[in-house]
Amino acid sequence: MDKGLLAYLLIPLLSAVIIPFAARTRPKMADILANVTLLAGLANLLWLALRPSMIAGGFADIPGDGLSLLLVAAVYLVGLCVTFFSAYFIEEGLPNRPAYYSLLLVSVAAMTGVVTTTDFFTLYVFIEVLAVTSFALITTDDSSAGIEGALKYFFLTFPASVLIIVGIAILMMTLGSLSYENLRLFMASDAPAGPVTFASALIMLGFIVKSGVVPFHTWTPDAYQGAYAPVSAHLAGIVTKISGVYAIIKLATLLRFFDGRAQALSEMLMFLGMLSIAVGALAALKQTNFKRMLAFSSISQIGYIVLAAGLGTPLAIMGAVFHLINHATFKTVLFLNSASLEKSTGTTDMDKLGGMEHSMPWTSWTSIVALLSTAGVPPLSGFWSKLLIILALWESGLRVYAVLALLFSIVTLAYFMMMQKKVFFGKKTPASERVQEVSAPLLAPVVLMSAIIVALGLLFPYFYAYVKVVAERIIL
Amino acid sequence: MNLILIPIILPIVSALALLLISERTRYLKELLAICASVVSLLAAANIFLLPAQTVSYAWLGSAISFTLSTDTLSAFLLLAAGLFSAAISIYSFSMPNKGPAKWFFFNLLMTQAFASGAALADNMVAMLFFWEGLLVFLYTFIALSQTTYAAKRTAMKAFLINGATDICLLVGITITGYIAGTMSMSEISHNKLTLDYGWSVFAYVLLLIGAVSKAGAFPFHTWIPDAATDSSASFMAFVPAAIDKLLGIYFLARASIYLFVLNGTMQLVLMTLGAVTILVAVMMALVQKDYKRLLSYHAVSQTGYMILGIGTLNPIGIAGGLFHMINHATYKSCLFMTSGSVERQAGTTDLSKLGGLFRAMPVTGLCFIIAAAAISGIAPLNGFFSKELVYKGTLDTGYTIFFLAAELGSFLTLASFLKLGHSVFFGVRPENLKETKEAPFSMLLPMLGLAAICVVFGFGAQLPINWFISPSLEALNIRHGILTGFHPDKLYFLSVIVILAAVINHLLGLAAGGGKADKASDHIHYAPVLKEAYAMAERRVFDIYEVGMDRVVPAFSYALFKVDRFFDWVIDTAPSGAAGFLGNTSRRFHTGSYPLYMALTLAGAIIYILLLASNGGLK
Repeated sequence: MDKGLLAYLLIPLLSAVIIPFAARTRPKMADILANVTLLAGLANLLWLALRPSMIAGGFADIPGDGLSLLLVAAVYLVGLCVTFFSAYFIEEGLPNRPAYYSLLLVSVAAMTGVVTTTDFFTLYVFIEVLAVTSFALITTDDSSAGIEGALKYFFLTFPASVLIIVGIAILMMTLGSLSYENLRLFMASDAPAGPVTFASALIMLGFIVKSGVVPFHTWTPDAYQGAYAPVSAHLAGIVTKISGVYAIIKLATLLRFFDGRAQALSEMLMFLGMLSIAVGALAALKQTNFKRMLAFSSISQIGYIVLAAGLGTPLAIMGAVFHLINHATFKTVLFLNSASLEKSTGTTDMDKLGGMEHSMPWTSWTSIVALLSTAGVPPLSGFWSKLLIILALWESGLRVYAVLALLFSIVTLAYFMMMQKKVFFGKKTPASERVQEVSAPLLAPVVLMSAIIVALGLLFPYFYAYVKVVAERIIL
Repeated sequence: MNLILIPIILPIVSALALLLISERTRYLKELLAICASVVSLLAAANIFLLPAQTVSYAWLGSAISFTLSTDTLSAFLLLAAGLFSAAISIYSFSMPNKGPAKWFFFNLLMTQAFASGAALADNMVAMLFFWEGLLVFLYTFIALSQTTYAAKRTAMKAFLINGATDICLLVGITITGYIAGTMSMSEISHNKLTLDYGWSVFAYVLLLIGAVSKAGAFPFHTWIPDAATDSSASFMAFVPAAIDKLLGIYFLARASIYLFVLNGTMQLVLMTLGAVTILVAVMMALVQKDYKRLLSYHAVSQTGYMILGIGTLNPIGIAGGLFHMINHATYKSCLFMTSGSVERQAGTTDLSKLGGLFRAMPVTGLCFIIAAAAISGIAPLNGFFSKELVYKGTLDTGYTIFFLAAELGSFLTLASFLKLGHSVFFGVRPENLKETKEAPFSMLLPMLGLAAICVVFGFGAQLPINWFISPSLEALNIRHGILTGFHPDKLYFLSVIVILAAVINHLLGLAAGGGKADKASDHIHYAPVLKEAYAMAERRVFDIYEVGMDRVVPAFSYALFKVDRFFDWVIDTAPSGAAGFLGNTSRRFHTGSYPLYMALTLAGAIIYILLLASNGGLK
């Protein structure tokens, strides 16, 4: 456990305990407490990572491996956006308002635990905590779709828990320890891998299922579509990334894919990543529901991260980490925009919408920024991360993967442009008449995230310096 | 600033300034253009009088030296371009049919600037730069002279023909520069290229195409008659009659004498090209029913004399070619000006509707007679002397047939000008032209000036020969004997016989045509065999451009269209079809069925484990 970041785990947990009591008579207290907690944490993190002396020193003084700090910041950022959005989104009469915020804070605490832990068992515990809070959060509005989504999420990812625990057991038996460091040392030695690799492969499989990589992706569309609107953003933006993809990147570095250990697993991972990119993008092309399309897009984008993690070279890991952060930003924007659309028009069916750019210009423009970033259009942040990934693939001689990754990013642009055209451009449909832009507080999170997308793209050299430090520390 | 740059930069600056002047101002644009062209002319005269000098700038880094040099030939060209620019800008002052004044003078000054640059450039790349610039202003000149669709079409025709031949020139210059190892013409001239091997022959032929196409020789001439009807007389007097001839023949002389040493075969090619151009164009000119169109065919025909003269490769012939170049520019410009005056005063250029205008427009008529006599080679006007030199040069080569062709051309030229002059200025004046008056002074002045030059260069032929032509030959490094002097020899009497024959032919034609002057050529037009040939020419069967546009281009475009459709299918229809199919399949697969999803998850997990186990995960 990285003790320097322990406070970021404990304080939200404490707030989560306080909220039900504080908000018993005044439900609004729940909003305030949750927001203040996350905002304070985020401010603290930003000071830690971005104070001028740190930037001037090329991020050499970053505590820990740097990756944890970055991801905790991402968790807090998305968490803050979701809680802030929720504060103005939730209807007045929703009975379980305090519970909702408590669960969100617990989920933030659990994610912090996931990214700061240094051994597999603690990782497993926090993953399960995260999963339980997610099931509950999906069903916030008690709709039948939400319950269906939650059940699918639960049942279809439950094999993952089995696989992870079995893998941990085998690892314990063969390696005698569950800490990351021991696994890293073992892989660095010349000892025959055998059962250790197999155990790692099982743990890896568990996390693959949890990230929603094809063919284990089947729970994602239903869960994202059925979930309570801000929760979709929370789930797609950060939860599934932390509970699955983060662990895959971590394992990829621990298993030393870059120097050719666990070759078969590395190749398998890359294949699954490419399959995800393809299936996700192609399925997204034909969706009619905005949120469902975003879900398939998530599958596709996760494919990029998994592909890069499977390659495992320093450049690829940098690309994977950067794409993880970018995915958190642009997918949160798009899901929050879908929530805004749902609030304004009552539907997310793209066939029923049209011409929204006039009535909802802010939503339209932030969507454009986010979708261009997703498709990897320069100079937005998504361009750089995809560039890093494709460069890494090309340098490693995986020309076919590089070309396919490039082609499917064109498909990404295609389905998002179709979405933008159907929903925001063109003529107004009956459902879009008399619609007004959502209130400023609901726009604030997406505008903030869009600004981050642009800023990360334009200030890429600084961010690159940071990610380089991260890659050096976690790989060497 | 160096004096050499003034004839290039001043017109460009003035042309750009013209565009800033409001449409509502009267005369301001005209006066600015006249001032700019007259000052350029004075600068050119000054340059001509000064000894040869060279200005050089490093261009494109230091890869190409942008060199302008005023050897006597270039300075002569510069002076001529300035003269015609000044004359035409004064002439156009009150010319209503020239199109919008702003754009007319813009194009005129730009053409002058780029023509001056092309004449002065010593480096072939720099010359090409100016040469191609002329192409742009050729297009805009024609396209903006009238608002009709025909003007745009003719502009495109001129642009495409000249564009295609300019590409030949570009390739030719590239190869020449590559073979010679330098792009500087003066450096190449110290060590001329020979036509001993394929690449140099190829390069020379490409340069030849570029030069004769600019000069408007057969078969690249077809846009000129169209431009005569679809554009203004001012444009015709300036570009096809003067500037294009000057530059084309100038570069033909440079390429044939200065850069390359030609052999007998190439001499024959050049002389054949000249003779064919003379005859084909003059035959067409003879039967035209329109003032400007008739003149435009003569503009092509006379090019043949110049090419013939240069093709003789002997000093007398070359001197004749260059002398004919400046003479032709003078009288043809003058003739187009008379056509513009008649068009302005009488409202038409159709020969059947004109007649008897000499009394109404005596000055115009006088200028016409002088210029027509000059072009027909009647002694002692300037055309006579230059043609005489060409004939002599041709006879000296020993190919009498070309001499005969040139004399036949001379006969037909005179015949067609008898017809033209008779039907416009003499005969019976139609009722509706009774009120016709003389053209304004601003139009008469340049016309008279050019007619005066025709007379002066005729009676005092030693003047231009000594001032312009001999120095030009020296600039081309040609030793030559005495070129001047009037000789009442066999050639002179032959020319008298030709004149008499043309007059007799005209009288015959009048008798056959029932006394109508505009039908005086019908006995040739509808003669057996010729009748069919003319009919085919009227249908533009011999016009390479039109045939290409009708036959080749549609087929080629269709083929390209099909190729484009194929690529479209490959990069658009096929991928989007495949993506759509796969997307639909994928969409139908995600039914939301829990057992299906669970089965897929478990099957995936089992395959994953088995694959890893078999691939050495357990090793």
